[in-house]
Amino acid sequence: MEPADELLNDQASLELDADPMRLNMGPSHPAMHGTIRMVMDLDGENVINLDVQPGYLHRGFEKSCERGTWAQVFPYADRLNYVSPMLNNVGWSLAVEKLLGIEVPERCQYYRVVLGELSRIADHFTCNGASAMELGAFTPFLWLLKVRDWVWDILERETGARMTHSFGRIGGMAAPPTATFKDDVRQLIPEIYKVVKETEIMLLRNRIFLDRMQGVGVLTKEQALSYGCTGPVARSTGIPYDVRKDHPYMVYDRFDFDVPVGEDGDNWDRFMVRLEEIRQSVRIIEQALEQMPDDGAVNVDDPRIVYPDKSEVYTTIEATIAHFKLVMEGLRVPRGEVYSFTEGGNGELGFHIVSDGSGTPYRVRVRPPCWYNLAASREMLLGGMIADIIPTFGSVNMIGGECDR
Amino acid sequence: MPKFTLDGKEIAFEPGETVMQAAWREGIEIPHYCWHPGLSIAANCRMCLVQVESGRQMAMPQLRFDESTGEYVPTTKPKLQPACQLAADEGMVVSSTNDEVKAAQASVQEFLLLNHPVDCPICDQAGECKLQDYYYEHQGTLKRKLTEPVHKPKGVRFGPTIVYDAERCIMCTRCIRVCDEVAKDHVLDMRERGNKNEIVLAPGRELDHKYTLMTEHVCPVGALTSSDFRFKARVWFLKSGKGICTGCATGCNTHVDYDPRYGKVYRLRPRDNADVNEFWMCDDGMMTYARHATDRVLTATAGRGEGRAPIGEREAISLAAEKLASVDASKLAVVLSAQHTTEDNLALARLASSLGAERLYLAALGGWEGDDILRSDDNNPNRAGATQAAGGAVLRTLSDLIGDVQSGEVRGVVALGWASAERLEELAPLLALDAVVSLSSHIGALPAAAEVVIPVAEIFEVDGSFINAKGMAQEFRQVLSAPADIEPGWRVVADIAKALGQDLGFTDLQSLRKGLSDAAEAAQ
Repeated sequence: MEPADELLNDQASLELDADPMRLNMGPSHPAMHGTIRMVMDLDGENVINLDVQPGYLHRGFEKSCERGTWAQVFPYADRLNYVSPMLNNVGWSLAVEKLLGIEVPERCQYYRVVLGELSRIADHFTCNGASAMELGAFTPFLWLLKVRDWVWDILERETGARMTHSFGRIGGMAAPPTATFKDDVRQLIPEIYKVVKETEIMLLRNRIFLDRMQGVGVLTKEQALSYGCTGPVARSTGIPYDVRKDHPYMVYDRFDFDVPVGEDGDNWDRFMVRLEEIRQSVRIIEQALEQMPDDGAVNVDDPRIVYPDKSEVYTTIEATIAHFKLVMEGLRVPRGEVYSFTEGGNGELGFHIVSDGSGTPYRVRVRPPCWYNLAASREMLLGGMIADIIPTFGSVNMIGGECDR
Repeated sequence: MPKFTLDGKEIAFEPGETVMQAAWREGIEIPHYCWHPGLSIAANCRMCLVQVESGRQMAMPQLRFDESTGEYVPTTKPKLQPACQLAADEGMVVSSTNDEVKAAQASVQEFLLLNHPVDCPICDQAGECKLQDYYYEHQGTLKRKLTEPVHKPKGVRFGPTIVYDAERCIMCTRCIRVCDEVAKDHVLDMRERGNKNEIVLAPGRELDHKYTLMTEHVCPVGALTSSDFRFKARVWFLKSGKGICTGCATGCNTHVDYDPRYGKVYRLRPRDNADVNEFWMCDDGMMTYARHATDRVLTATAGRGEGRAPIGEREAISLAAEKLASVDASKLAVVLSAQHTTEDNLALARLASSLGAERLYLAALGGWEGDDILRSDDNNPNRAGATQAAGGAVLRTLSDLIGDVQSGEVRGVVALGWASAERLEELAPLLALDAVVSLSSHIGALPAAAEVVIPVAEIFEVDGSFINAKGMAQEFRQVLSAPADIEPGWRVVADIAKALGQDLGFTDLQSLRKGLSDAAEAAQ
């Protein structure tokens, strides 16, 4: 790129200026899915240079964690990927439980799996629906979101909130499954299959959709690896990495499911990988519901970790003290550090936590999948056209809450 | 020094020391209730049981229930020993964390909570209670007992300062031992046994010696509470600063517990200092904090009696300078204060010497009885500091001043502090003088006798130092911020000096303290 003033001084040139145009997209822009700023140099409609700049959300997640108790991190974790907060909740629980050296009862593990997979389905519905809508296909968006709402209805019945549930607890969950939980989910499963099928019918043979998705926003396997991409973005390039499969946690090793991968790493592959993952999540849910015990404890049996029952708190000194200590000082986590990682909605969600033995985290470092996918999005967008930014950036499914920590 | 091993760590000990004591010196806490470094050994709470893993093992035969077969199987259990009573020995290997010890700690803790009332929400000890701490660290199980807990007397008035709750009591006997060993007054004892155990007063007595608040201080649970602190504050809202008691010339080290939200001090606690007060303080000392918030002088005033009216701070300082300038230096009396910091006194002594005023007096409190435990015969924290600030000569008293005023030798007075043993009636001759300036944090006879009163910061609001009866200089730090526009005494003195056109040679506390060491050398 030549500096503008040099070109202006060149009196001999009578042609129209061919300077690249610098354009700011965002941070406050409908296509930017949160507050991301893109500074790009355009040659006509082609993006010849691009700088993706997160950091406008000012969350301070990691620092905020250092002043509350371990349990008070849940609401912050909810807001990492706020489209699938349950996955973050469970990720955080597992990290602290790993440092504590405890494992929650099996019933709770299944419960966490089902709620987590429902969240993943909601997440993929949102991403794929929005991708379609941004290309003008409004109906798939509405239909997907209709079913997503039914998914959230179940989550609301279980947790009390549609999003930002703050339902995870260290050593268990805030409440046991409701009596109708299994039936509710089983009733919803056909609807999920149906809407996925409908989406395929509407979009997969649509010329406009195909043209905007296929061969656009390509990320190679090597690039995905070097950027540290995970989740659907990495799998669309042909990397079959899924934490649930490669490093099974909770009870994921007991389920029969496939990890869909793409070949080209373009928008199309990312779209298709997510669509297929919805089906695989449903498979996991079906098996988990089958195996999940109908009764038994959900929380670990240790009043030093999980709040004792209120009826005991009010009547016995032991429970009162446990409650007091957990509220005033927080549950104490042994000195040490761990890295614990799970498959979030967009890839590997890792928590590296350090404890000094007190009731407050000493340091919390989160590895949000979107951060790495966002970095790689430059490679996808560079050389493309400005209009492609919208579907491509949409298919990265960047969540601002994760990137600004 | 000989060494023994505790939980894999080598600990040096003086011959004759117990395992607990040697560990405590190293900063390692073996859980305990009844042991206190300043008291005799009772070894009755059983929380500090440890296993001596070296030497010949003592084992007790025992039947253990086997859940898989539903039968009792004979086994043995090691004999654990209380660390507080166990003399350390060269090469001894002690464990305070192995499974047997942990089981014992959990059981002792469970027994202690067996009949404990559900009082945490209304108990002043909550937040600094050993039962809570050790429950979390060593027990962590819920209640197994289904029957009603044993009820015992609650809210028993032991005396003017202490209220006793027998249900919360764990019978560690620390309070009994504090009365016996520190206050030398056997006023508390224990009656009954088992779950009817209770601390009682000696017949016909009240808990009314001079160290009653120490019983509350050593109580590891909420059984003894101070009537003064009861229900006043929750400890987790309090922050703590380091102070020196102003009650007497012993200079006991204190923790000043204050609520930062209100800028209010709620209590003092003794701060361990082996050279001064060991672990203790007397009741009067503990209560000196109360003075801080009451009877403050918050605005400068001019005039006397009915005519006294508030004036601005700046105005007061120039008025004071004007009054002092009107008096010949040879007839100007400068009154230092045994209740103020050495720094304040030094600043005033400097002003005196720079004006050429040679008449130095000392205002001090009286009417106090010392004892041979902690309480000094002098109830002023800094007589030695004021004397040193004035160059080391013994200072004349306020009654000397009254005589000098009456004989006409003194025509003007500048006085530091509110504290004087003399009442206003005795100070009446001062009322006849026009040039009487008082720098005071509280109302009192001296400011009442003054024509101009300028407020100064209170003891919790300044950095400073006291020199105690043993000649030890002890520094302390500002805990609270002073009310608006109120400055430490030494700064007000500097302001007056400036208005008088005098340079006292210091700009901050550091340069002032340098003068202090010079004064100390001069005194020697």
